[in-house]
Amino acid sequence: MVLVSAAGHSTFSPVGPKADFTTFAWWLLFGVAAFVCVVVISLVVGAAVVRRKARRVSDSPATGFVLTFGVVVPALVFAATFALSVVGIAKQAHPQNRADMTIDVVGHQWWWEVRYPGGAVTANEIHVPVGAAVDLRLTSADVIHSFWVPEVMPKMDLIPGHTNDTWMQVDHAGTYRGQCAEYCGVQHAHMGFEVVAQSPADFQRWLQGQSADAATPTTAEVKRGYDVFTGGTCATCHTVRGTSADGHVGPDLTHVASRSTLAALTVPNNRGNLAGWIANSQQLKPGNKMPPQPLSPADLNAVVAYLETLR
Amino acid sequence: MTLDDVRPDQPPTRADIDAAAAGMLPERAIAEGTVGEKLRELWEEKPGLIGFISTVNHKRIGRRYLVTAGFFFLLAGIQALVMRTQLGSPNNSVVSPETYDQLFSLHGTAMIFFFATPMNNGFGNFVVPLMLGTRDMAFPRLNALSYWIFLFSGLLMFASLPLGMAPDGGWFAYVPLTRQLSGHGLDFYTLGLLFLAVSSTVGALNLIVTTLKMRAPGMTLARMPVFVWSILVQSFMLLFALPPLDLANAMLFMDRRFNTQFFAESKGGDTLLWQHLFWLFGHPDVYIIVLPALGIVSSVVPVFTRRPIAAYPFIVLATVATGIISFGVWVHHMFAVGISEVAESFFAAATLTISLPAGIQMFAWIATMWRGRVVLSTAMLYAISFVAAFVVGGVTGVMFAVVPFDQQVTDSYFVVAHFHYVLFGGAVLPLLAGIFYWWPKITGRTINEKAGKWSFVVVFVGFNLTFFPMHISGLEGMPRRIYTYGADTGWTVWNVLSTAGSYLLGAGFVITAGVLIESLLRDRWAPDDPWGSNTLEWATASPPEDYNFPVIPTVHSLNPLWDGETLPSMAEHRYDDQRTMLDHHKTLRTSELDARVEAIIAMPSDTSVPLWLAACLTLSVIGLLAGLYVLAVIAFAAVAVAAVVWLWKRPDTEEPVDATPPVGRTTGWWAMVLFIATEGATFAAFVASYFYLRFSATGPWPPHGDIPPKIVVPSIATAVIVLSCLPVWLAGRWAANGRRALATTASIVTLCAGAAFVVLQITDWFAEWPASTLSKDAYGSLLFGLTGLHVAHVVVGLGMLAFVAVSLATRRAAARPGGPVSLIALYWYFMALVAVALYVTVYLSPRW
Repeated sequence: MVLVSAAGHSTFSPVGPKADFTTFAWWLLFGVAAFVCVVVISLVVGAAVVRRKARRVSDSPATGFVLTFGVVVPALVFAATFALSVVGIAKQAHPQNRADMTIDVVGHQWWWEVRYPGGAVTANEIHVPVGAAVDLRLTSADVIHSFWVPEVMPKMDLIPGHTNDTWMQVDHAGTYRGQCAEYCGVQHAHMGFEVVAQSPADFQRWLQGQSADAATPTTAEVKRGYDVFTGGTCATCHTVRGTSADGHVGPDLTHVASRSTLAALTVPNNRGNLAGWIANSQQLKPGNKMPPQPLSPADLNAVVAYLETLR
Repeated sequence: MTLDDVRPDQPPTRADIDAAAAGMLPERAIAEGTVGEKLRELWEEKPGLIGFISTVNHKRIGRRYLVTAGFFFLLAGIQALVMRTQLGSPNNSVVSPETYDQLFSLHGTAMIFFFATPMNNGFGNFVVPLMLGTRDMAFPRLNALSYWIFLFSGLLMFASLPLGMAPDGGWFAYVPLTRQLSGHGLDFYTLGLLFLAVSSTVGALNLIVTTLKMRAPGMTLARMPVFVWSILVQSFMLLFALPPLDLANAMLFMDRRFNTQFFAESKGGDTLLWQHLFWLFGHPDVYIIVLPALGIVSSVVPVFTRRPIAAYPFIVLATVATGIISFGVWVHHMFAVGISEVAESFFAAATLTISLPAGIQMFAWIATMWRGRVVLSTAMLYAISFVAAFVVGGVTGVMFAVVPFDQQVTDSYFVVAHFHYVLFGGAVLPLLAGIFYWWPKITGRTINEKAGKWSFVVVFVGFNLTFFPMHISGLEGMPRRIYTYGADTGWTVWNVLSTAGSYLLGAGFVITAGVLIESLLRDRWAPDDPWGSNTLEWATASPPEDYNFPVIPTVHSLNPLWDGETLPSMAEHRYDDQRTMLDHHKTLRTSELDARVEAIIAMPSDTSVPLWLAACLTLSVIGLLAGLYVLAVIAFAAVAVAAVVWLWKRPDTEEPVDATPPVGRTTGWWAMVLFIATEGATFAAFVASYFYLRFSATGPWPPHGDIPPKIVVPSIATAVIVLSCLPVWLAGRWAANGRRALATTASIVTLCAGAAFVVLQITDWFAEWPASTLSKDAYGSLLFGLTGLHVAHVVVGLGMLAFVAVSLATRRAAARPGGPVSLIALYWYFMALVAVALYVTVYLSPRW
């Protein structure tokens, strides 16, 4: 399998206030840390070099030196570090501007359920308006996962039976890659997601689209696919709003064709991968919870054709 | 001229002694000449296979710990190489995800539990009695037992891998994942670690009692080497850190196997309970690993800077402070779980505080080097490189105290880099320093220093190349514990570097092994003190005789071999029976603070009972693991039998010194008190878990309905056991005054009261059923779990009482102050105290 995303993933390129702070903190801490390391390493290597041929050995306990550089100086550095920590904790607690939208994210083995106010439900993609703070409510349906999109914000765990409240704000339009950061089983490595920041207008358009019910089939092949989907095993696990398919084991597929990847950033979302996933997803993501689907080639093509209309 | 010609009133010249005994310290030569032969005969162990399985000698056991821990290091290291190979390129398929998950879980578990601490214990075992100037550990048979259990638990844990059943929940095994993972992997994990914990607990207890009670006369606490302090602190930490881990592992095993609900959110349990219990152990554990390593550095640096360690009192203070504070920072492993801001700030502050003691030690070593004359032996190169690596690991650790930054990089390769710098840099490098330093003492041979230094270079470069790039891949967003990654993430180059580094590191270890093996194949015999060291272990043969010291010296300073008074005392006291003890296996018991002689105590000779006990316990664990409960019970009964045989053969001889009755606290008293402390910590953790679940429960408590448990029978039971403290106290008093019959009767009365307690408690269990069951909800699991654990402890107490009654009546046990009856009385008071605590917790508190 392949892991794909057009997006970056580095803490060195922050795009929101939370990541801005942690990246700033990093460089500050790095500077101090590098200085300390250089000093200490020079002292110890220097002693090894300079004191090899020393003739006078002093037995002094060197208490003053040890206390000054081992206690007093570090204590000052640590006090400053603590101040930085407290400032950071305070800043990350609440956004500067009030959030006017709450998104619920539910972790599953090995995909992300994303629920918007107004009924839109999608998977593995979180769209937000640029520059706006968004409340996130994080929980899990099975085991502990962790929500980490490094360019945007520090991570927060998704814990079954608990809801973690946090917030997110992205200040630059673009697509940002995230990945689960708490070992959650055999396909932990393939539990990615994307945060897509759009202009407020684009975001509204997207949200309206996602909130709508599924497109009704028009062509014969698509109708056949619709029948196979709603009449067969697909509907027992997946939901397509506006149809009778109301399963809650796997992701909501109402607008699956609008997503850029399949299987939580495992493969790009195209016809071939979609067909391959449905036929035998175990080949692409071994151990995932979707069993192979023994559909005839005609049925498979029909289902794929139907899903491709779910934009 | 021979040593026979030496007369005490005409000390020979140094030249005479040198001629007579090449490589021997002159003072030791004199002492050996007088008493060596007799002692050798007395302390000699059986040869061959019998001797191998029945040895109780701390040096042989210490060597075994080192070799076995080294073997597990090799296995865990190979696992790491496989993982690095898999991660060496994106979308690789060297191993399946299932295999990879077992590899990283077992690698972490093995390195921490089966390599790092046991290797420290190996040095502790071998070096500590020698550094203290005594003849063996306080409890030699217990020492053998702790080794055998370590070996068997390690073999059991690793056996899971070829069976395809290795643990696959990560080394910290978070629930609910581990509650759900199918197969036996997590059962190997929980039971394997519980089994190992017996070894670690018993080993820690042994080291503490040895350190407190068996120091050579004159070695006050202020004259105890830093390494011994670090082992003492580490051992105390183990006694208090292992209980929460053991409790968590027992709860997880019970949840998985017997359907208890400790961690089941829907049944009143809590996912985060696991994390709290685990990290209450886990954080102190990293200092348990690092402190002895720092102690090794404090042993090596003075010798190779030709001067005493600087700021000794502050190093000791730093060691103790680290030990204590380490219990207060555990939540820093949980900064991303959604704790309150107040909690985040508190634990950030505590985490910063614990970095201060480390700074003291670093600058003490630096000061020692700058005021001394540096000798760049291989051991010293490792010590210096450790300082460099540890400061790198330490500064990234401080970064984690900035909570939002922690939340960015926790669970990423940045933290993997951090902990490998502090664990490899902070423990493996000093352990290698220790190996090169103490090698002549342990094996009697010297190492080719030039080859050693080259092996150091390869290891050090390989180590940095492996782990430094991980800082960057972590900052670039690479999470931990992923079996592969995409080519477009940008992580490839850092992974390639790490993989290359790991192969170089592996090569470095192969070269190191080659250097060590070469030394063993050659006859480059080492003298007593090849390095010109300052501590007492170097005043013995290389390797030491079975009895360590022919004459127990009087210690005059922190640097006994440099002070010009301690060594001569060895020769001076060679006709003093109290210091030579030529009639039996004996050594001195001294006072805790000032090391004044209190008594002469008998040491056991070799026996294979520890091996049999360990083997039976192994069978019991295997029975539990495989679900063969009948086997488990029978094997456990065999363990009890072995324990009785062991105790029956106790060398219960304590001789007074100077014809006065023995003074001071006995080694047995300390063992019982420490045992009570660690078991008490277990009950405390369990009670704390009860209240944690109670107060985090969202529904009613008990969850199955607001029905408090019945109170009449538990009230009577608690009263019975509290009142039974009176007969056991009387038994202790009567035994101390030699009144055997009365003491025996009182013990039996206590036993009957205890049995009544057990019956009453079991009656209450039946009364609670089926409203509350072990598996109905967390409350039931807690009720039966807490009272069940207590009953198990009481039953052990009944066994002890029966044993003591029989041995008093048959005159096998000593009826004297401090004898076994008074020790069992202590245990019994503890049982009563726990009964009261559980009564309040389980039966009264639901009514509030």
